Amino acid sequence: MAEIPQQRKENKLIEQISSKFEIEGTVQRDRRVWVTTSKDNLIALCRFAKRLGFHHLSAISVTDWPQEKIFELTYHLWSYSARILLTVKTKIDRADPKIDSAIPIFQENAQIHERELHELFGVQFEGNSDLTPLFLEDWDGPPPFRKDFNWRDYVRQKYYDRSNEREKPYWE
Amino acid sequence: MVKQAIKMKRLIKAIWVFNWFNSCGFAEVVPIAGSRWDMERFGIILTGTPRHADVLFIAGYQTFKSMKRAQRICEQMADPKAVIALGACTMSGGMYWDSYNTVKRVSDYIPVNIYVPGCPPRPEALFEACEKIFQHVRAMQ
Repeated sequence: MAEIPQQRKENKLIEQISSKFEIEGTVQRDRRVWVTTSKDNLIALCRFAKRLGFHHLSAISVTDWPQEKIFELTYHLWSYSARILLTVKTKIDRADPKIDSAIPIFQENAQIHERELHELFGVQFEGNSDLTPLFLEDWDGPPPFRKDFNWRDYVRQKYYDRSNEREKPYWE
Repeated sequence: MVKQAIKMKRLIKAIWVFNWFNSCGFAEVVPIAGSRWDMERFGIILTGTPRHADVLFIAGYQTFKSMKRAQRICEQMADPKAVIALGACTMSGGMYWDSYNTVKRVSDYIPVNIYVPGCPPRPEALFEACEKIFQHVRAMQ
């Protein structure tokens, strides 16, 4: 019943955004819109989306692509009025992972996600004044969610003693 | 020592317990507070603050962050006190043995008196651990 107007809503959203920014947009299915943009446009796009009603930043996530040498950042924005989940994607350099903070737009909504991603992936959110560790107090290893971090090896070296008879099975 | 033992024996009608539970540790041990296992018939009572507690229950996997808090709680408890570690994860990391953020040997961080193994430990095993505390006090010279 509501299928056709809903489709129009999503296509209209992509049109609205692409009139202002360089994007690649697709409608994944009902109420799910994916938008890929460049790193520089990201914050301006988020601000624009917020003006369109996307007030809720439900999550920020990072995907590590070690072969391509990039981090893919995904911002999930939800609109309570249009009831559409807008997924904004961008790519940043893995060797120099810096991105502007979304705090000026989403305030506390963004804070906890940025803090966590800084801790787990080492992404620098520029403009965020409080990137203190969230779960990993006194952590001295590399950011643990990076694909090239061999956590099992790290744990063995740090916590287990090969010469201890009871801890030998952990080394096998 | 004799005087203290007499005093302790007079006092030990019940042990007051403070819980430090992470993750599933809480869900698996909480039935002992219900009517089926009913820990109060053995004189085990939950308390809201570590300063009133005789016994600290630690359950669930412990992260390094939570272990710091557990140490603080343990320091706040008045002597005489006992620490009981419940379940495989607390004692050795359990299935999280290769996690970078769980405690591998709990006794490195906190003085543990009794280990109750199991995943989860049976309520009966927990009662036996508490009974050992009563027995210990009764046998004091």
